[in-house]
Amino acid sequence: ETISLTVASSHPTVVPWVGMIQTHFMARTDEILAESGDYKIEWNEAFGGTLYKANATLSSVEEGITDVGWVFSFLEPAQLPLSQVSTNTPFATANPPVLLDVMEQLLESNDAFRAEWEDHNLKVLGLTATDLYDIYTKEPLTGIADIDGMKLSAPGVLGNWLRGTGANAVDGALTTFYTDVQTGVSDGALTLALGAMPIKLYEVAPYINRFDAGAAFSGAIAINADTWDTLPEEVQAAMIAAGKYYTESHGQDMVDRHELMLNLMVQNGAEQDPPVTIVPMPASERQAWVDMLPDLAGEWAASVDALGAPGTEFLGEYMQALRDAGETPARDWDK
Amino acid sequence: MSPVEIGTYGIIALILLIYIGMPIGVGMLLVSFTGVAMIRSEGVATRMIGAVANDSLREYLFAVVPLFVLMGLLVTVSGVGKDTFDVFERLLKRVTAGLGIATVFANAVFASITGISIASATVFSRVAVPEMTRHGYRKQFAAGVVAGSSVLGMMIPPSLLMIVYAVLAEESVGRMFLAGIGPGLVLALMFSATIILLARTRRGFVFDEAGDTATYEHISLGAVLHKSIPILSLMTLVLGGLYGGFFNPTEAGAAGAFGALVIALLRKSLGSGVLWRLLVETGQITVSVLILIMAATFFSRMLALSGVPRELAEFFLSGPVGPMGFLVLYLLIIIALGCLIDSISIMLIMLPIALPVAEAAGFDLIWFGVLTVVSVEIGLLTPPFGLSVYTIKSAMDDPDLRVGDIFVGALPFVVAMLVTLALIIAVPSIATWLPRL
Amino acid sequence: MKPETNTPDARAPRGHPRRGPGRVWALVVESLAVVGTLMIGALMVIICADIVFRNLLGASLPLVSELGALVLVMIVYLQLATTIRADRLARTDIFLPLIRQGYPRLGAGIAALFDLVGAVMLGLIAWSSIRILEKDFSSGEFIGVTGIATLPTWPFRVLILLGVAVAAVECILRALENLRNPKTGVDPQ
Ligand code: NA
Ligand code: NA
Repeated sequence: ETISLTVASSHPTVVPWVGMIQTHFMARTDEILAESGDYKIEWNEAFGGTLYKANATLSSVEEGITDVGWVFSFLEPAQLPLSQVSTNTPFATANPPVLLDVMEQLLESNDAFRAEWEDHNLKVLGLTATDLYDIYTKEPLTGIADIDGMKLSAPGVLGNWLRGTGANAVDGALTTFYTDVQTGVSDGALTLALGAMPIKLYEVAPYINRFDAGAAFSGAIAINADTWDTLPEEVQAAMIAAGKYYTESHGQDMVDRHELMLNLMVQNGAEQDPPVTIVPMPASERQAWVDMLPDLAGEWAASVDALGAPGTEFLGEYMQALRDAGETPARDWDK
Repeated sequence: MSPVEIGTYGIIALILLIYIGMPIGVGMLLVSFTGVAMIRSEGVATRMIGAVANDSLREYLFAVVPLFVLMGLLVTVSGVGKDTFDVFERLLKRVTAGLGIATVFANAVFASITGISIASATVFSRVAVPEMTRHGYRKQFAAGVVAGSSVLGMMIPPSLLMIVYAVLAEESVGRMFLAGIGPGLVLALMFSATIILLARTRRGFVFDEAGDTATYEHISLGAVLHKSIPILSLMTLVLGGLYGGFFNPTEAGAAGAFGALVIALLRKSLGSGVLWRLLVETGQITVSVLILIMAATFFSRMLALSGVPRELAEFFLSGPVGPMGFLVLYLLIIIALGCLIDSISIMLIMLPIALPVAEAAGFDLIWFGVLTVVSVEIGLLTPPFGLSVYTIKSAMDDPDLRVGDIFVGALPFVVAMLVTLALIIAVPSIATWLPRL
Repeated sequence: MKPETNTPDARAPRGHPRRGPGRVWALVVESLAVVGTLMIGALMVIICADIVFRNLLGASLPLVSELGALVLVMIVYLQLATTIRADRLARTDIFLPLIRQGYPRLGAGIAALFDLVGAVMLGLIAWSSIRILEKDFSSGEFIGVTGIATLPTWPFRVLILLGVAVAAVECILRALENLRNPKTGVDPQ
């Protein structure tokens, strides 16, 4: 029996976790189903924003405009408040696989967290995270104190990570960073190696000040719940297994790729003047940065509590789960 | 029916509806809604039309549309165009057919402070045509020169068409603007060459029998400088700000509109309700452009669901037609549509279908965009519906000058545009060198 | 009608009925348009203020890009009805005027049909936007960043919905007028 499903994303498949929907999630689902041969999925692919843009990743799966899609939780702070925990607890972990494990675990154990996704008429299959954040600049930094007075491009919510440092956040997105830095709208950018590499940010901001400033939970592959309910159990089981496989592969991929991208940027920019240089920042500088920040997590948790969701409680569970997994957060945001 | 068939019939139905005269945006909404309802379900189609209407226009970049339009309207009422023309008239008065060339270059410079071709056509039909006729040019030819050179308004940045293309192709607006400069200058040179060639070989087409006996008004060097100041300061503000790192494109639009407002106020051009009328006009142009963009977004999403672009790419790129064949066919269709429909509508109908194919063909999308804009602009000059020609006709309000005359006068410039188009196809770096620098 | 037609006097807007329900309706359409028109000025001021702040004081104003985007959507829908009323939506002007000259009744019928299709499409958008408004309201959807500055989105959604609904009704009225007076109608001018 052939089942026709639409799979879509706001971002193109060159973005690793979108590409891996094809190479890992869809491929593994097909593989599992092929074992018994009872069902076959005919995927109708609409990647790269052909069905909806980044501002509608949640509602498009929720409303069944696509059956399966990647939901970008960064851009849904009102709809998915608890999912914002990691962006509001900077530097709690710099280990994407552990972060994903913890979120997966919380999705099962914390009813409010699971409900905030399921209430949007969707079933979560796999989770995604970012790689690590660094500061890209035109001149090398000697420490975090140097960014005092600088203008740094940062996407929306990450502007918070610059509060208290004296740097001014210039709101932007990956698509605007290059020109913003080139033309002097900003002096640099707070961004990911994975994002910086394809936009060639290193050409205009050759100093990669490596803070390894922590990873963040970025969203999920989800399927519309109405579609989910019509699927035979065997297909559901295959998708759940494929989703777990996706999450795990993606977490490891983020670790490998972060190093790969940094090396690639150094390689590609070796001939330019000045050449691309990685400026390693000692752990003490990262600590200095995190200590400068106001109580971001507390403010955030309070605002979520005010909405009627258990923000403070979830913050505690999240931080504890990280510590239980062997992580040493740079700041105990729950205390 | 298979999704591909539904998508194909959708395209055909849309062309029919537009031809009969249904508002283009409404036609695209209808076809897309019906298409999605048939491919997926009515429920999905209803939710999708709502999502498209609410989300697709929600981009900071789109704020440039009203801002550049407002700027264009403000400079039009404040007489900046006339000053620019005066300056070039003074500079070129000793050259063969110098007034014709002055019109072309005044247009090129005026283009750098307005984002819409029609602003140029309005201004220069009132400024350049009377002066050219006074100096012995045939009115028909003079109007043709104005019509032809008005297309520079959309080639040379800022440009509404480049913005629309950048949005649909997800290219940087700044780069698309840069891409228009080279082709814009080539086009201006081509137009000048055409004028000189015609003046030498076909005098009867260019001049009345009498010949030029009228005197030139003397303009002192000081006056030239004085007249250049407003346009130079606006150019510096918009393009300097954009490429000097002070603004992003949206901000360049806001700063440009504000600068144009200041100039209009200093020149006392905004008496009794003029500003309000311009704002209302800005609003209506903005709505008609953005509603089209919204409807085209829905249309392209319907097509994405139908799989038509994928099939088309396969057909063109793996079959006997090949990428170049596709490109030529695409440009010919655009030029043909240009006889009937306005520029932005053409782009919004064609690009959702053609961009996936162009991408699959590995074309440089900046180059592809420039080719698209040039061929779309040819439509401004071709009958039966040639917007530049109609604008000149209504702005001049001269019963002796028939619409058909202006079309004939503009014909040499259509040929010059076709030559330029071929040149950009042959030498892509005319368009791509500057933005890829 | 054509997006590029920019001479301020290019097209005469539809006349204002002097009294009765027509007058009230015209007032509704015009007031929405006035709000939209004022928003264009506001948009310019907000963005210019941001430029000044960033270049002189080194700091971006919060919310500008998200607010600018939302204000723009509002401008479009608030002015939609008046744009339809002034017959400024892009369309080809070749075939229908000829039909209307030769066969006024048929031409008016086609024009009315087009208006009704417009009304149905806008009606569907309005219907679908009610759900979006409800969701934004109940979930407290906002723009901006918690801790820096935020603004709820539902008031914008209300205005968008209002604009679309009024535009849909305007389409119906145009259709009726076309059917009632095939010779003059409202379209084309
Ligand atoms: Na221009
Ligand atoms: Na034409």
